[in-house]
Amino acid sequence: MRNALSDALVSMGKKDSNILLLTGDHGYALFDDFRRECPEQYINVGIAEQNMIGVAAGLARSGFRPIVYGLSAFIPIRVLEQIKLDVAHDHLPVIFIGDGAGFVYSHLGTSHQSTEDIACSRVIPNLSVYSPADRFEMAHCMTAAYQENSPVYVRVGKSDVGNVHHSFSKLNRRELIKVKTGSKSKFSFIATGSMVKTAIEVSNKLHSEIDVWSVPFIKPIDRLCVEQICRNSDAIVVFEEHSKYGGLGSLISEIASGSYPVKIFQVAVDDCFSQKCGTYEYLLKEHGLDFETVYRSIKSFLIDL
Amino acid sequence: MEFNPIKLRKTVLDMAFAGSTVHIACAFSIIELLSVLYKKHLRYRQNDPCDSHRDYFLLSKGHGVMAQYACMRELGWLSDDDISNYFSDGSDLKGLSDSRIPGIEVTSGSLGHGFSVGVGLAMGSKLNETDQKTYVLVGDGEINEGPIWEGALFSSHHGLNNFMVIVDENGFQAMGPTKDIIQMGSIESKFQSFGFDTLVVDGHDEIAIHRAITLLWDSGSTKPKALIAKTIKGKGVSFMENDNSWHYTRLNPDTYKEALLSLNEGNI
Repeated sequence: MRNALSDALVSMGKKDSNILLLTGDHGYALFDDFRRECPEQYINVGIAEQNMIGVAAGLARSGFRPIVYGLSAFIPIRVLEQIKLDVAHDHLPVIFIGDGAGFVYSHLGTSHQSTEDIACSRVIPNLSVYSPADRFEMAHCMTAAYQENSPVYVRVGKSDVGNVHHSFSKLNRRELIKVKTGSKSKFSFIATGSMVKTAIEVSNKLHSEIDVWSVPFIKPIDRLCVEQICRNSDAIVVFEEHSKYGGLGSLISEIASGSYPVKIFQVAVDDCFSQKCGTYEYLLKEHGLDFETVYRSIKSFLIDL
Repeated sequence: MEFNPIKLRKTVLDMAFAGSTVHIACAFSIIELLSVLYKKHLRYRQNDPCDSHRDYFLLSKGHGVMAQYACMRELGWLSDDDISNYFSDGSDLKGLSDSRIPGIEVTSGSLGHGFSVGVGLAMGSKLNETDQKTYVLVGDGEINEGPIWEGALFSSHHGLNNFMVIVDENGFQAMGPTKDIIQMGSIESKFQSFGFDTLVVDGHDEIAIHRAITLLWDSGSTKPKALIAKTIKGKGVSFMENDNSWHYTRLNPDTYKEALLSLNEGNI
């Protein structure tokens, strides 16, 4: 998925010389290709994220198309007010890439983990929120973000969980993508980012009558599609590597409660910080997001229905 | 357009009285700075405040926005009704800068934002190879904010000699004297050490301000510029000068009348 991100940056940069890639001293090898292909369009702003957003706003006002890169713990969390006031308020075309969302930096602790970024970004007017699940969705999201010509936050989570799509037909922007069709569906799984893969695997193990949807476009979301899923489902499980407050699960619940109320189970992070150090898999387990725990909890949820 | 400081201050008083607003004193401290900028330095088209070749003026200390509104009235960018209806329900002009008003570049008031946006504009002008200049006016309280110094490092590193910060050093911030709250020491030497060409000027002496801005641009160096303007909070109305309560106090009919009298006495 990171290769897809790098490829997208290079291809956008080469096509449009107004693209400027700004980083707060993060990214390292990710930008090797971009720096080689578009050296004049790369600016390392230094370890000064707040200034970076203001500078991006000024550059956007001057006709440039800044892409601001950082870890999602910093972009958007650390600079939320700069995004709100300097960029979103004036609808400036700045793309924010927040890398390492969720527990990617499992060994580094809370400062580098990010499970509140969807909640915080989706409440800012004019700011779109994308969350790709694999390399296909990443390429699609970057193209959409560029075409949007307005502020977009692209959440990049665990990048090496594997593809969820075998092939990818061109979709309309903002669509939910059905990644698995149940034969006679009563339940629906809706997932985003790294958890789409888990949703597919859990549905495979449970039984086949489950539709699985991936949501790369969290805001604006295809509300009609979500309403249809709510209408056609006896129950919905929402998966995300994000707090259970304010993220995709909250969003689906908001739509359901206003249209076709349906029982919704959230596979998400409880209201707590990580306690221990360990591998990504270890931290998923600590937060109950590993395959086994998720499988067991969904099974008991479905039995209790 | 004369941008006469007395007239500008009168407009501020009219607005503040009409809207029963605060932030009079911090508008008064920057009147001459704005007057000189609009009169002598800023490049703009009077019939189009959004002209793409304009110089940029960013009032990062958005609390002083009534001073800018007063100038915009002189330019015809605001009407007499805008002034007399200040703060009325459904009106456009807010108590802090809002970029949706043509002629105002940034939404500020949350402090420390305009500086970095200005740095980005200055860099954009360099990349676009235009000769546009960017001015950012900050308060001496505002420079407590970290992003100011992040932006100072960045503008210096990139040789943005088309960028000028003007510090309104009136010696006060919201809750009291700046020296009692966060002692900034010499603001000039701070900006010098961050790689700026600097000058200190009497912020109420229009001739001196004009000369200092000209000298800074004419330095020929690749450094960004910092003009430290020594000002008086509440300048122009004797009972407001250096009385920080006028950061928050609203005018009543008596104090409004007194303030107008005091302004006119200054005129004589």
